[in-house]
Amino acid sequence: MNNSFIIAGREYADNARTKGFWINLLMFPIILIASIKIPQLLEEKAMPTRNYILVDQTHELGDVVKLAVDRQYAAKVAESMSSYFMANAKGSVTKEMDLESMPASSLDSMMSDLLESDPSALDALNEPGAIESAIAMMQLGLQEGSPEFEKPRRPFTEVEIPSSIIGDDELSILNSDEIVSRLRPYLLGDGYLTADENELFALIIIPPDATQQVKRGGVEGLAQQLNEKDGVQFWAKNLADISLSRAIAGALNEHLRTNEYKRLGVDEDIVSQVKSSQMLFTSFDPSKDAGEEKVSMADTIRQFAPLGFVYLMWIAIFTVVNMLLNNTIEEKSNRIIEVLLSSATPWEIMCGKLLGIAGIGMTMMLGWILSMVAVLMYMAGPQVEWAMTLLEVIKSSGLLPLFGLYFLCGYLTYAGVFLAIGSLCSTIKESQNFMGTATVILMVPLMTMVFVARDPNGMLAQVLTWIPLYTPFVMMNRAAADPPAFDMYGSAILMLVTIITMLWVSSRIFRIGILRTGQPPKIVELFKSLTTSLKNQ
Amino acid sequence: MTVLELNKLVKRYGDFTAVSDLSLKVPKGAIYGLLGPNGAGKTTAIRMILDIVKPTSGELTILGSKSAMGVRERIGYLPEEKGLYKKMKAWAIIAYFARLKGVPAAVAKQRAFELLERYGLGDFANAKVETLSKGMGQKVQVLASIAHRPDFVILDEPFSGLDPSNQQVMEQVISDLNKEGATIIFSTHVMSHAERICDRILLIASAKKVFDGTVQQAKDLLPPRVRVAGEFSVEQLSSLPSVNSCFIDEDQMFSIDISSGCSPQQLMSECFDAKLSLDSFEYRQPDLHDVFLHLVGEEAKVATVR
Repeated sequence: MNNSFIIAGREYADNARTKGFWINLLMFPIILIASIKIPQLLEEKAMPTRNYILVDQTHELGDVVKLAVDRQYAAKVAESMSSYFMANAKGSVTKEMDLESMPASSLDSMMSDLLESDPSALDALNEPGAIESAIAMMQLGLQEGSPEFEKPRRPFTEVEIPSSIIGDDELSILNSDEIVSRLRPYLLGDGYLTADENELFALIIIPPDATQQVKRGGVEGLAQQLNEKDGVQFWAKNLADISLSRAIAGALNEHLRTNEYKRLGVDEDIVSQVKSSQMLFTSFDPSKDAGEEKVSMADTIRQFAPLGFVYLMWIAIFTVVNMLLNNTIEEKSNRIIEVLLSSATPWEIMCGKLLGIAGIGMTMMLGWILSMVAVLMYMAGPQVEWAMTLLEVIKSSGLLPLFGLYFLCGYLTYAGVFLAIGSLCSTIKESQNFMGTATVILMVPLMTMVFVARDPNGMLAQVLTWIPLYTPFVMMNRAAADPPAFDMYGSAILMLVTIITMLWVSSRIFRIGILRTGQPPKIVELFKSLTTSLKNQ
Repeated sequence: MTVLELNKLVKRYGDFTAVSDLSLKVPKGAIYGLLGPNGAGKTTAIRMILDIVKPTSGELTILGSKSAMGVRERIGYLPEEKGLYKKMKAWAIIAYFARLKGVPAAVAKQRAFELLERYGLGDFANAKVETLSKGMGQKVQVLASIAHRPDFVILDEPFSGLDPSNQQVMEQVISDLNKEGATIIFSTHVMSHAERICDRILLIASAKKVFDGTVQQAKDLLPPRVRVAGEFSVEQLSSLPSVNSCFIDEDQMFSIDISSGCSPQQLMSECFDAKLSLDSFEYRQPDLHDVFLHLVGEEAKVATVR
């Protein structure tokens, strides 16, 4: 057995020196950082200020649109102010944030809730100097050496139509088709209205009779005959960014309904009071202890965290079994295997290789987890609060030891197969034939993992659990959902039996295959030599 | 004392017989040459000796053990097809194989450096194998197979791919090992090496043993050979009493097989008597090359390729 450890040591050192290993090891934290940082950067820097033109022929609704755009900006300012404060406050607020009691929603959605129930609350921020004085007030509570607060940029800015295109006198009399046809080249990016050559993002036309073209509810609505160009028109080439059109439409509806209340003689204060009333609605989890049944953000993450582990596990297993395959083929093709066989038994060689590559896999995993924890700890803050929650969940849930265990089981299940394939092939090219099938089999857990995560104790999860090749992946996926004890231990036993059988058969094939030269054997041939080798024992 | 004894070893792969009925005794301290045409079964025989493949029937005893696995620490092996881990350093690979044979890590490392120094590769001890030339790589592999100081060494084609000066180093390695008391079996296609180094030779062809004995015994199998040149015909030569047979060889000389009981001197005087004017007269003992061709020449040409 001593030889197995020597072989394992060499195998480990050899693979740990390869570029592929380091790329794999570093790739994960890099992707993790990028996936957190890039959206932030895009939001802060890359997104250009979008220009729009507003043609208001009612001389009433234009102010509503402007207010909507202002409020949207104010919400953004408020959000970045609060996260600035949380990041830089004395006695770091972040540490005191209680994750378990935080509702299953993020800062973003809290802000949009506020905006919906009482949009006027943010109007104060749009007063000149309001942001500055708010910052000045904050200053007392900030740590020393905090960076300056950077006002976020306005996402949308209104631009005037140059009089050379549409004169002031024409503006209120031209019909919408004419306005669109004059501005179309700018909307299509064929020309620019501003000196900085910023494309015209949108054109909003409010025709004079827009207030009359209102779609009504009830029986009255059924009798209405409206054209598609009736009412407010929003022209934009970019169909992906709907934040402006949504904000404007929302504000216009709000305005319209308020007017309707007025027309019907309902008190405005009562309306706003009614609108900010909310029914309390909380999700509870029956499996939790009394007093802690409330579903928190941590719970949501806890349910989906295994998905990430399944994915990591899959990548790691796929990577290391390929290493195993390549190494075996290398040894076979340059006949090192013969010297090895004169020094150690096939079983020792196989154990050594399995052990060495398992070490590589474990190192990779450990590297990933440590770097993940490091990245999350560094990143954790109000900006990426999920990072902190995830960290908390990983620490508290006990998923980590399961992850290690299932990785090892999954690795051993597949490693034997790949080792056997490697022993039968003299070149990587030959192994491709087998690899096709093996890859298809290995793809299944990857393709089903989202469905399993969504319904961890459902039919699909149950069935896949009892297919030993998939047990490690599926059970990892189900780990957070308290699978029944029968599934957990039963599948574990089946998995162990499978691993032992797989390794036993693989060692036979390995012994036969490793000295073979030429084409890989046909299945029938392989089976024959396998059975004869058993008889000879 | 016998260190290796093969008793009617047979190896069949399906219908194909790779080695048939091979028996052999190798005395301690001998240098045994394993000769034979391509595909004769040399490598299979070696693999059976090393217990890498199991014989179909027959048995063997090596260093007092029924299987090489039991005494693998005392055996060194250089396979026919040479290969090394490309990314490893020269010293590390030698130390690795020594460790697999039970040498403690520190000692293995020290010996690796000593061996590399001794056989002219001291400067390359820390070079990766992939940067070495083919010949240097092969030397590293030879050293890797003997770093554990084996009592019994099997070298399959140790000379192939080496330039003349490195072939000399290889001969040096073999004779050094022998002086330290090791028994050596090596296979080769180069008869001059076998002739120079071996005490005894084993010749196999088409899976069967054809000859087993000392080099001198092998040479005695063939009568002395005389080659002459001059202005005469094969018929004229063949009519001489001491000429058994005669043919024109590749150098356009008459190659003469002398009748038994006759001597070259007798042939020469018969030539004078028959007034055959000789431009040259050459007499030499047959070498292993001749013996090889004589014993397996025909078979080698039609040898089945596995």
